[in-house]
Amino acid sequence: MPIRRIFAVTSLLFLLVLAVSPAKNAFRSYRAFQRRFATLGASRARSAKEIRAYKDSPVAIRQIWMRDFADRVDRCETCHLGVADPVMAGAPAPFGLHTSTVHTPSGFDRIGCTSCHGGQGLATSQEEAHGTAKEAGPPMTPASYIEAGCGRCHSGESLAGAPRLSRGRALVARAGCFACHTVRGQERFRSEAPPLNAISAKTGGAVVRKWLKGPKAADPNATMPDFQLADADVEALTNALFARPVPETLARAVRDAEAEPPGNVANGKKIFSESRCISCHTVEGKGHGSAPELSKVASQATRGWLLAFLRDPHAFNPRTPMPRYGFAAAESRDVVAFLEDQMRDFDAPKDVLEPVHVSQPLAEKGEELFRQYGCFSCHGPFAGPGGEKFGPSLDGVGDKRAASLDFGKRTDLPRTLPAWVAAKLEAPRSFAPGLKMPAFGLSPEDSRAVVTAVLALGAEPVPEAFRHAPARPAAVLPGGEVGALIDRYRCLSCHEIGDRGGDISTAPLAFEGSKVKRDWLVDYLVLSFTIRPILEERMPIFRMSREEATKLADAIEGFWLDPAIADDPFAGRPAADADTGEGQRLFVALGCRGCHIIGASGGYYGPPLTDASKRLKPGWIYTWLKGPQRWRADVRCPDYGLRETDALRLTAYLGTLKSGPEAKKEGAK
Amino acid sequence: MKRAVVLLAATALLGTACARRKAAAPAAVPAPAAATPVPPDPSYAVRMGEHVWGHYCQTCHGETGAGDGFNAFNLDPHPRDLSDPEFQKKKSDADLREAVTRGGAGVGLSSLMPPWGRTLSPREVEQVILFIRSLKKSAASTS
Repeated sequence: MPIRRIFAVTSLLFLLVLAVSPAKNAFRSYRAFQRRFATLGASRARSAKEIRAYKDSPVAIRQIWMRDFADRVDRCETCHLGVADPVMAGAPAPFGLHTSTVHTPSGFDRIGCTSCHGGQGLATSQEEAHGTAKEAGPPMTPASYIEAGCGRCHSGESLAGAPRLSRGRALVARAGCFACHTVRGQERFRSEAPPLNAISAKTGGAVVRKWLKGPKAADPNATMPDFQLADADVEALTNALFARPVPETLARAVRDAEAEPPGNVANGKKIFSESRCISCHTVEGKGHGSAPELSKVASQATRGWLLAFLRDPHAFNPRTPMPRYGFAAAESRDVVAFLEDQMRDFDAPKDVLEPVHVSQPLAEKGEELFRQYGCFSCHGPFAGPGGEKFGPSLDGVGDKRAASLDFGKRTDLPRTLPAWVAAKLEAPRSFAPGLKMPAFGLSPEDSRAVVTAVLALGAEPVPEAFRHAPARPAAVLPGGEVGALIDRYRCLSCHEIGDRGGDISTAPLAFEGSKVKRDWLVDYLVLSFTIRPILEERMPIFRMSREEATKLADAIEGFWLDPAIADDPFAGRPAADADTGEGQRLFVALGCRGCHIIGASGGYYGPPLTDASKRLKPGWIYTWLKGPQRWRADVRCPDYGLRETDALRLTAYLGTLKSGPEAKKEGAK
Repeated sequence: MKRAVVLLAATALLGTACARRKAAAPAAVPAPAAATPVPPDPSYAVRMGEHVWGHYCQTCHGETGAGDGFNAFNLDPHPRDLSDPEFQKKKSDADLREAVTRGGAGVGLSSLMPPWGRTLSPREVEQVILFIRSLKKSAASTS
């Protein structure tokens, strides 16, 4: 009897337990969302058929299963029902249409949601999916850093649809983060920081102390971060730097230069402006800013060093972006005389360039600090290939769980990964005593950008099919004499060639030979002028010999060519296509003068075209007009979608533009 | 009587406590707050619009859309003040889209404004329009 009773009770209990699971499902929050969505959809629908479709859609879990993307399953659409539904534009959360991006709405099936947004794709409750629940997996990426998702698949610094990520990556490269931190794909990164082997020949103790106390305060363009050093440590490091023996060749070059007679200030001023130093440097903030501010340089370096460095910067720092100008001995003296006369800190004490009387024990302590703070990561001597980096690896930092992070003393921070990374950049020493990471002094916007770039560093590379590298052809660089010239004048500091080079210039050189005429190029290299007057960064006059210029121009003419460009675009075309009068009419009708100067009038967004026929090859003009974005996607000249005939007529017209000798002198200023 | 008052107070307290908890529940993913106050962050689409604006438009139209860009004074007629609330009210998004994609000549205005329809993607055009609309707001808030 009791056994039967027990059996009955347990059966009942068992039935109850069985009933819980469907009941639990019936009360899941997504069901309510789906019912609300059906009502909302029906109210927004534009036809009876659409209304029925919203009303009839079954209440069920919806998911995207990405078999070839590591078998991800994203169920976000279970609640975010309107992401791909144009009717839902502007609808309240969670039903709104997804913001239009390169991948939405077309790429939902291939890429899903969590690959960009993070969070837990499999979960079906808001707290678990968004990662706000206590036991949930890593949370979603906040909207401010959403471009970190782009960076998971897209490598390369500049990405058209992700301005914040691009900026962040550029800042990371400039700040030299990869000098200390290992990151996949950045193993070959090398800082451009100078080797510190000639400090005592360059400057004085006061300058070095000020720099070490706060590089940005000493020079707003400084890339070196603030190591927040105590005064005693500054003193020790200063002593260490002054105790280092200067290589004899450098010491002699500085000594000999110091003994030279003074130069001519007025001539120096002229050469300084022709040399376009502010294409990289700044003078009182004016200029590109990738190289040091110069307005006080004569109070930061000795005359001998300035002179010796100007003559051969590569001897002092083989990695410097600074070209070796072709100044005559007297010319460089004149430039330095100008710097000494005007580019100095008139408030600086007289002894600002006095060397330090080295105390050996302090110097030894300083060398110890140099190792402890990892200064060698940027300044060398470097560890060999595969050598260990000073800082921890950053691979996978974007996938770290907040619970695994050491917030230390920072109890004020929200317990999230982005907040932790932002605070690490802003006040790295605030987490615990003894930390060594320096502060980078980023603006709020720059901080967002760098955090975005850091969050893009995932633990696992995405599957091969999803990896996207920028399509830049490998740089082809000649060796021999021409290669040496390209190295000497550091063409790659400003110009892009294939996958190498800087972006100070807007003109990539990979197809320069198809673009400009050889004779023009020889003249231009000897006596450069600005091609785009609106830019502060201009091509310097390198004081290159005509012989060197000819060698370079010949190499460019024969080497950097776009095989798709015809020498003569008019070949085989009717004579009417070469109608220069029609071309001129088109030039006016299309509004080209809004950006281009011809003669005395026009805008100066684009290059002046007064001498177009001397500079440009007709094949290039024609191909450009057919699609200016052919070589570089971000070219500002709009694509007018010209007909063949119109493009040819414009080409013919531009081919007639030539100025007299007076106008040419004007341009060379 | 006394008991009733106490009871009433207790229920009222309980009620407010519950209400507060409800209000404190996160409505969306909490934005990470940095240590220092940070200026508001525009949406991705507006950021993209600003990027497009900065690259293609700003040189003539100016940073704030006032028509005072670096190249503006070479142009006759000058670019108009896009941040002018009157202009913003008068022109629909469709008007702006038309002017950006077809250029000045395409909408019966100056040909010095080029057509961007083949250079910018339709998405970029929408983004830059969103940014132009944000110029109005900032103009209104400063005045």
